[in-house]
Amino acid sequence: MRNLFAMARRIIRQIVRDKRTLALLIIAPLLILTLVWYIFGAKTSEPNLAIIHYESSDYLSAFKTSDYTRMSPLQARQSLADKKIDAYVDLKNPIKVHLEGSDPSRNGLAMSKIQKSMQTIQQLNVTSMKKQLTDVINAQQKGIQAQQQTMKQMSEAMQRYAPSALTSIMQNAPKTEQPNQANAPDKVKLDVSYLHGNDSLNTFDSFGPAMVGIFVFLFIFMIGGVSFLRERTTGTLDRLMASPIKSYQIIWGYMFGFGLFVIVQSFVLTCYIVYVLNIYNIGHLLDVLIIVFILSFSALSLSILLSTFASNELQMFQFIPLVIVPQVFLSGLFPIDTLPSWVRAIGNLMPIHYSTEALRNIMIRGTGFSGWWLDGLILLLFSVVFIVINVLVIRRSRPIAD
Amino acid sequence: MTVSYPIKGDHLHKRFKNQIVLDDVSLTLQEGEIYGLIGPSGAGKTTLVRILLGLEKADSGKVELFEQRPTLNAFRSLGYMAQSDALYNELSAYQNLEFFASIQGMRGKEKKQRIYEVAKAVDLEKDLKKNVSNFSGGMKRRLSLAAALVHRPRLYLLDEPTVGLDPMIRRKLWTLFHYLKGKGATIIVTTHVMDEVAQCDRVGLLSEGKIIAEGAPKTLTEQYGVPSVEDIFITIEKEGAKK
Ligand SMILES: Nc1ncnc2c1ncn2[C@@H]1O[C@H](COP(=O)(O)OP(=O)(O)O)[C@@H](O)[C@H]1O
Ligand SMILES: [Mg+2]
Repeated sequence: MRNLFAMARRIIRQIVRDKRTLALLIIAPLLILTLVWYIFGAKTSEPNLAIIHYESSDYLSAFKTSDYTRMSPLQARQSLADKKIDAYVDLKNPIKVHLEGSDPSRNGLAMSKIQKSMQTIQQLNVTSMKKQLTDVINAQQKGIQAQQQTMKQMSEAMQRYAPSALTSIMQNAPKTEQPNQANAPDKVKLDVSYLHGNDSLNTFDSFGPAMVGIFVFLFIFMIGGVSFLRERTTGTLDRLMASPIKSYQIIWGYMFGFGLFVIVQSFVLTCYIVYVLNIYNIGHLLDVLIIVFILSFSALSLSILLSTFASNELQMFQFIPLVIVPQVFLSGLFPIDTLPSWVRAIGNLMPIHYSTEALRNIMIRGTGFSGWWLDGLILLLFSVVFIVINVLVIRRSRPIAD
Repeated sequence: MTVSYPIKGDHLHKRFKNQIVLDDVSLTLQEGEIYGLIGPSGAGKTTLVRILLGLEKADSGKVELFEQRPTLNAFRSLGYMAQSDALYNELSAYQNLEFFASIQGMRGKEKKQRIYEVAKAVDLEKDLKKNVSNFSGGMKRRLSLAAALVHRPRLYLLDEPTVGLDPMIRRKLWTLFHYLKGKGATIIVTTHVMDEVAQCDRVGLLSEGKIIAEGAPKTLTEQYGVPSVEDIFITIEKEGAKK
């Protein structure tokens, strides 16, 4: 146990004295997350739109001046080519939309805005039809009233001259019912409710949990892997092997030593995204911390394991495209439901996949312990398996039994 | 009187891929001697030392440490200085020594005292606070030696301890080795500096994976009728060519 602490203390000292590593461990993930936050978290900008042939259009009121610039057809075509506007709408019947088209996300923005205007147009149509109908009805009612007037006069005349005939007519006449007031059509409005999150949830909020996992994993992986690799290449590992220290004490020493920085890193990072970047989080901070912490250990133990197969720093970094990049794509950042099952099976072997799931459950869905314990357990299992393999690898390279 | 053998290698064979590095090497160290392992670079000196230490596994043959199969505990009495410096560059000299002393089981005041003692022995007592990354090559070499000494082992395996050091310091270190020997330690030193050879009690000449001659330097030179141990390599090579 004492050897283990001596190991841990040495690693802590090494990192504390190496300011670059310390910065890479604590500050770099913050910087990158901030960048990601700016990219994905910023309010999406409004599309730039224009209308042409609006002069004689009945629908002009649906295209507010604040949203649509009035342009001549020539002007509009030119602006579209210059990418000054994303789309323009030709109000000549039938209405046509011309999109710039090179950026799908801008297309989407433009279209959704234009579709909103089209809804207004439909409403305008409905209102004008309603007005026309009411006019028709009013005219008819007037006619009926006039008829009724005539009838009344006629029946008065008949009462005076032939009362018996009137009685039989009245009895045979079909009962007329006063027509009900025409029901005003209900306003069509969608009432949206969210099971999780709310309408202010932006891309960063949903990417955040995956991003946290990715960056924590990446930086711990790099630093842990390189520092164990150095132990091998500088020969200090040999010195350790030629000392009474036990193999498991070497590995656990690493876990403990890095553990301290992992705690600090997890804490700083989690507080930063929750309180400074204001990521959507309805779960407990502690739950988030626990997951980030467990994930870091799987990153650390995996990096130590892979450093066995590297003979210099460059080779260590060559593992990044192999280990980190697939995790980024299969982590849940992008939907994977449609992928072939073998790809999803690979995804199931990736620690970040579980951390993302757990963090989404905690932060967005607000499920407590019941929502993350399984993912947490799997992450823990990853670490345990990697650690055991690490100890075995060291033990094997040491002909002397320990 | 029973002579104890601090370290013994028996019929050791080692090959890397298809290169034979050690070909049936046997050697036994006597307690309290300085044994020089000499031979040209690539002869297999480092490999032999690493096998004796248990850092490398021999393909066949066996190693005994203190007359038994090596155990982790035996490492407590063993000081190893590798050919590379094997230091933590981020740490200060003191912190390096402190760490190596700790994993050797030293504690508290004793440890602290001992660190200053060994630092003095290798002439680094004024540089203990310095970062190892600011050390010169020679300083690193000496610190590496100090790390091998810190836990007062009975057996030292020193792989080219004086390489890259200036003659003054080299002489000082050899005085240190003799001092350690005087206190009962056994030392195996690899070297290819010939003036150091004369200071060993016994030398083993390693060439192409075989120990071609072994004995006290004086006896050997007389036996082969050559002025220096160095010439023995040449003599034997010639003999081999004649055959
Ligand atoms: N890990 C290894 N893999 C392959 N070859 C090795 C390895 N270690 C040493 N060798 C080879 O074994 C031979 C002896 O090396 P070494 O024991 O370092 O010699 P010396 O220390 O006498 O200079 C060299 O030819 C070297 O290339
Ligand atoms: Mg060597």
